[in-house]
Formats: sequence, structure tokens, C-alpha cells
Amino acid sequence: MRFLARRLGFLLIALWAAMTVNFLIPRLMPGNPAEAMMGRLRGHINPASLKALEVAFGINTHQSLISSYFAYLNNCVHLNFGISLLDFPEPVSHVIAQALPWSLGLVGVSTILGFLIGTMLGAVAAWRRGGALDSVLPPVFIVISAFPYFFLGLLFIWFFGLTLGWFPILGGYTETATPSLTLGFIWNIIDHSILPAFTILITSIGGWILTMRNNMITVVAEDYVKMGRAKGLKPRRILWQYAGRNALLPNLTGFAMSLGFVISGAILVEYVFNYPGLGFLLLQAVENEDFPLMQALFLLITVAVLVAIFIADIATSLLDPRTRTTS
Amino acid sequence: MRRKSRVGLLASTLALVASTCVMGMPAIAGASGQTPLNLDNEQGELWPCAFTPFNGFDAMFSVGTIYETLDFVNALQNSKVTPWLATAYAWSNNNKTLTFTIRSGVKWTDGTPFSAADVAYTFNLLKKYPALDLNAVWSVLSSVKQSGSNKVVFDFSKSAVPYFYYVADQVPIVPEHIWSKIKNPVTDPIAKPVGTGGYELASCTPQNIKWTANPNYWQKGLPVVKTLNMPAFLSNNTANEYLAQGSSAYGAQFIPNIKSYFVAKKAGNGYWFPPVANVSLFPNLKSGPTADVAVREAISYGLNRAAISKIGEYGYEPPASQTGVVAPTFKAWSSSSATALAGKGYDPAKAISVLKADGYKMGSDGFFSKNGKELSLTVITNGGYSDWVADMQVVSQQLAKVGIKVTVDGAAASNFTTDVLNGQFQLAYDVETGGPSPFYEMRQWLYSKNSAAIGSPAPSNWERFSSPAVDALLNQYGSTTSSATQHSIIDKLQTIMVQQLPVIPVLEEVDWFQYNSDEYSGFPSATNPYAQPGLYNVPDWGVVVLHLKPKK
Repeated sequence: MRFLARRLGFLLIALWAAMTVNFLIPRLMPGNPAEAMMGRLRGHINPASLKALEVAFGINTHQSLISSYFAYLNNCVHLNFGISLLDFPEPVSHVIAQALPWSLGLVGVSTILGFLIGTMLGAVAAWRRGGALDSVLPPVFIVISAFPYFFLGLLFIWFFGLTLGWFPILGGYTETATPSLTLGFIWNIIDHSILPAFTILITSIGGWILTMRNNMITVVAEDYVKMGRAKGLKPRRILWQYAGRNALLPNLTGFAMSLGFVISGAILVEYVFNYPGLGFLLLQAVENEDFPLMQALFLLITVAVLVAIFIADIATSLLDPRTRTTS
Repeated sequence: MRRKSRVGLLASTLALVASTCVMGMPAIAGASGQTPLNLDNEQGELWPCAFTPFNGFDAMFSVGTIYETLDFVNALQNSKVTPWLATAYAWSNNNKTLTFTIRSGVKWTDGTPFSAADVAYTFNLLKKYPALDLNAVWSVLSSVKQSGSNKVVFDFSKSAVPYFYYVADQVPIVPEHIWSKIKNPVTDPIAKPVGTGGYELASCTPQNIKWTANPNYWQKGLPVVKTLNMPAFLSNNTANEYLAQGSSAYGAQFIPNIKSYFVAKKAGNGYWFPPVANVSLFPNLKSGPTADVAVREAISYGLNRAAISKIGEYGYEPPASQTGVVAPTFKAWSSSSATALAGKGYDPAKAISVLKADGYKMGSDGFFSKNGKELSLTVITNGGYSDWVADMQVVSQQLAKVGIKVTVDGAAASNFTTDVLNGQFQLAYDVETGGPSPFYEMRQWLYSKNSAAIGSPAPSNWERFSSPAVDALLNQYGSTTSSATQHSIIDKLQTIMVQQLPVIPVLEEVDWFQYNSDEYSGFPSATNPYAQPGLYNVPDWGVVVLHLKPKK
């Protein structure tokens, strides 16, 4: 219980620190959202609009930094993130809600798949050390995971999308289709997600394979594994229940963190595939000095990572009693 | 927003390779059986689905198509006025009162009749909420009142003839019976817009906006094209690909190598880039070497604008004139005496002699200096626009040949804008909005009241030009409807542009426009420039889609 309270306390302090940094950093950027909007619409709106935009965005209202900080904290607690300046006058919550499912679906599923497949391959590779799998997989995936997402994405678009014509090349679904809860539309979404998901999957899998394999090699040499063998347990049982379970522990936190970062989307993949997720939204928010949207997104990412780490800590303490001792 | 690739060289090269293969997209037929017209307009973001016509960005999704204006003023035909929601207008009271006669028989798409009361309501809404008044019409208006059943009277605090363009062409009219119930018109999103236009909103998702024809539109028989789609594109490459593979017949894109990438792909593909404003070098007139007119003159003579256009812009943006008048769009305004004064434009020998006469000495490294200080300038430009950065690299090479050292600083877009607005630059490469005659751009450039002190943002006049004589000329233009007087004023302003070089126009900013004339007829063209074609030009593109007819 004390362990839990301490973890929870740490979570709250980290959250407060992150929120404060989140408040301050955007305000240190040069310029303001009205000027950014003028730049974005350069040549297409009357320069006299600068005044109107400043009024609309509430710039130069002479609110002190301290009072706006407390207003911000209060709004965060009430999950009131204000109005997006990029998509003015849409509420930030609405803008995020529209993009969130796409990132969760695409990046979330491919991250989990990447972890599961990578871990399994890594475990098997270590189990049969020096075998075919072990000599081929790690070097191949080290090379592939060194590729930037977007480069692989462009290659896939060119080969599978344009040359072979197997997959659509852009969007979360056929851009002119009307979203509906029909099988046809769901298939449309899956069809559009295959290429981007595959891109994320094969670039992320390598890391998991390598760390799992290395952990496994240490664990397999432990006495209790030898003991298991001596007892005549089935190799499969030793592999997954004795060695695998313990080798997985150090990877859990890493996995939790990567799950937390699912919220931030995959900026370059979303950009290359024209995918309507959060990553590109974040980039846009920063470019256009959309403070409310930026703050909400950063907060969301921070909370997701902190919560994921918190859960991973709890899970580790359940799986491994040693982490619970205080000394 | 100009559409340029930001992914970088590798990405664009790959996309070019990729583009050589064409993939068919299934065409989805609309409810009427007619194939929808897909519009290709990359804005680098997903659609907000907020249809406030008084929002600088959202306006392009509703003004012209859903909401209409009192008149249509065409920048490409010397401010030609086409009656729209108003059937007539008249100036009176020393050009301080403007009276519109409002069209009868027009209905909002919810069936309520449109009336003069809606017009008066709309303008008074802008007065109540300055955040909606994008064109600052209330900086010159004193009152807007309905008069009789079908007239609306605009009283100006001073004669402001050029404001006709903003009042009549740039303010969309909204329905009083709906907007009067909106609690906060600035921040409440308009999800279901009701207008008088040829189109109604059918659906909006972040990925696509779909419009359908208004069956009761007041222009009988129009629109012919029943369904419009505008998919959202995050990058220039994907949008260009969509156009090149034939999924769209109407685009507003910057496309490198347009002839092989787009025109050659399909019969009927074509493009037209009408110039509308100037992309110019804005010299800081308050401090540094550019405060000296001789330096500005040397820069202007040192620029081979034709080469910049060819190398930096694939020749899409034609070379500009130091007179500031965009040709051929406004060639009727071009002053022959100012053009003669400007000479042949590119004249490196003259650039060098001007600097020498000003006391500059050529150093052993080939660069001029004066009082021990080298003539070295930094030009800031929008680093997100790869073509602008390329233009400036050419400029840097050209000016090095006349002894002026120029360093190019391609900053991030928002930093760049902030620096330009606040006057924090030696030279800035940027574009003004302009308007339906050269006056608008010249007023944006030269009117001292548009400017501000260095360090505070100036909406326009970024170079901080200030001349009581020029202010007087601009005010005089605003008080006359006489074409002869207006021309003589613009002539004088052109001479000032050539003699004082407050701004150095380099290239002419164009509207990006691609079409397929085998699928649709009626697109605007150089011979019939009835509206600006860019899908971000409002209300113009709403006028363009009313002219289109499917050929198949």
C-alpha cells in the first residue's frame, strides 16, 4: 500500500511539473497566433484582418502571466481546453476527438502488434541461439529499424500503392466516401491502414526482437531454468513460463512508454499517408502557434505516458516482488 | 497559402518517381447520377468543418458557394462589377454615401426570403463584433441602415470609394433569422450554414467537404454541376498526385514540372496562372544600408528578374516591374513615363555606378563598402516555401556580381511572419494581398497609417515608408470615382515607386490553377478571365463552379 501511495504521489508531482512546463514553453515562442494566421493566409486576406484576428484570439488582453497560469490549471482540471486557433472556432476537445481514434487505431494496434511479434521472435531466437532465426532476424531488423518511417512509407506507396496498385495511397478512408457503420466502410478503413501500419510495424519490431533476445540469453543461463530442464519440464513451458516471463520484465516499462506515445501519433507516417491522426495535428498546432491545442495535446501525451508507466510499475511489482522492498 | 512541398528533396524526388505510375481511383457517382467534381486544394491540414464565413481560413469553404456577397468584383477584368445580391449601387453625398438596391425573389436555403434587412443586419453584426470584421470596413463606415423595403444605405465617415470592393465583394451576407440566435458569432462553430448561394453543405468530415446544388437557387438553371467534393490534403505531393492521376478536374496547386507531371498525363489537362500581386523585396527604410535609396536602386538594377523567374519558379511567376503594376492583369494602369524611367530593369553596370556615386568603394573581395563597413545584407524569407528560398539564392548570386553581399535566411513560417510584421529585417521577401486594381497593393505598401514603429506589428507597409505627399495621393484616390483622376494618381505613385524604391517588386504572384477541359467546359482562361480561379479566392471560385458544365 505504501508503495502504491508513493507511486501515486510521484505521478501527481510529475503531472504538475509537466503541466507547468507545458504552460510556459509555448509562451516562450516568438510571435503570436494572429501573426501566424496572417502568415498562413498571406496574400489571401486583407492585411487589415490582423486587428480582427487579435480580437478574436484574445491577444493583448493584458492578463498577467500568473493569473493566466491559474486559469489554465483550473481549466485543465475541468478538462476545458478552450478553442483551437488553428481550426478557429472549433473547441480543442472536438478537434482532438476527431483525430484521436485514427491514431489510437493505427499507431496503437501496430505498436501492440510490434511488441508482441518482436518479443516472441526475440524469445524464440534466443532459445535457439545460433539457429537460423537467430542469425537472420536480428541483423535484418537492425537494418530495417534504422530506416526512417517516412522513407519506408514512400517506398511502400511507390511499390505497393502505385506500381502494383494493391493498396490505396492516402487518407484514412476513400476521401469522398461518407463515414458509416457498414462492413464496406470498415473494410475501407482497414484497407487504408494496411500500408501505414505495416510501415510502423516493421520499423518498430527490430528493437523489441533485439532487447528480448538479449534479456532471454541472460535469463536462460539462470539456475532456475537449468532446474526446470533438470526436472524434465517441456521446453515450451520453460521457454514461456520460466524464461520468457522474467525476460519480459525489463521490456515492460519500455512498452508502456511506447503505448503512451501512441497518443502523439506518428507524425511522419501520418504526413506521408495523408492520415487524419494526432501526430500531424500536433505539428500543425506548433507551426501555427495554436497554444490551446498544443497544450491539450502535450498534456494528453504526458498523462498517457505517466499513466502507462504507473501501470507498468504496478504490473512489475506484481510480477516481481523484489521491486516492492523499500530498502 | 502557397502550396509548396515541405517534406524535402528526397520526398519530392521519390514522389516524382512515384508519379510516373498512374493509378485509377473509382469514381463515386452522386445522387443525381452525375459524377461529382472533385476539387484539389491542399491547405496542409484536415478540414475544421466550421463554416463561419467571417473567418480568414474558413471563408474559402463557404463564401461564394454557400454565402454570397452584394456584388462580384473581378480583379482580372479591371474591377468589373457584376450585380449579385444587390442589383444596383450608387454613390452620393460627395462619395460618402453608398446605396445598394437589394435583389428580390432570393431565398435562404431554409426557405425564408432574403431581404435588405439581412444585409443591414450583417454589417451591423461586424460592427458589434470587430473580430468578424476582417476587412475593417468599420474603420471607414459610420452607419449602415435599411431604407424602404429594398435599399440599404452605407454612410462613410470620409469618402472611401475603394472600400466598395471590401463592402460589396468581400463581406458575405448571413441570414438575420439564424444569426441573431447565435450566442457568440465569433466562437460558436457554424456546423450547418444557411446561405443564398448555389450550393448547400451536404456533409463535412475532416477528410472531405461535400456540397450539393441548391435546387431553388435564384439564378435559374444553375448550378449545372450538382455535387462538389474537396478532399483535405496534408502535403503538396499527395494533392499533386491526386490531380495527376485524374481524380480531380479542378486544382489550385503548385506543381513542379507541370508539363510532364500533369499536362501530358491526360487529354484536356491544362493550366493558367494569372498574376495578381507582386512578390517583392521589402527593404528596411528605417535603419541599415537599405535606408539609403542608392542601395535600393542598385539592388533593383542588379536583379535579373527573368532569370529568377526561370530558375526559382519554373517560369510560372513572371518577372515584375519596378513600377509595381502587375502585367498583364492591370496593364491598362501602367504609366509609360514611369516605365521609361525604370529603364530596362536589369542593368548591372548601372547598379555599380550608382553605388560608386554614393561613396561606396569596391573592396579586393569584390564587395562594396563605405566608411569601412561592407555592404552586406541579410534577406529573410519563408523557409517553408522552397521556391522563395530558391529565388533568394539566385538573388544572392546576382547581387554578388554587383558587389552586394546577400545572406539568405529561410526562417520558420511563423517566425518569419512575426519578423516581417514587426520590421525586424534588413530585407524581406514577401507578398501583399493586393486587390482588384493596383491601388490596393500600393496602398498596402505605401500608406503610412498602415505602418507601425519598428518592434510593433504593422499589418502592411512592412518597410515603414512614410511620405505625406503619398498619403495625400492615396486619400485623394479614395475620394474620387473619376477614372481619369484615379489613373493620374496611380501614374504618380508609379513614378515614386521607380524614384524612391520603397518596395522592390521581383516577381508577380499568381493564382495556381489546373483544369481538365475534356471533362468540364466553362473554366476561366486568359481570353475569358471572368473570375480568379484559385480555390482559395473568395467569392471567385464560387463564381467559377457556377460556370462549369460537365461534357460527358
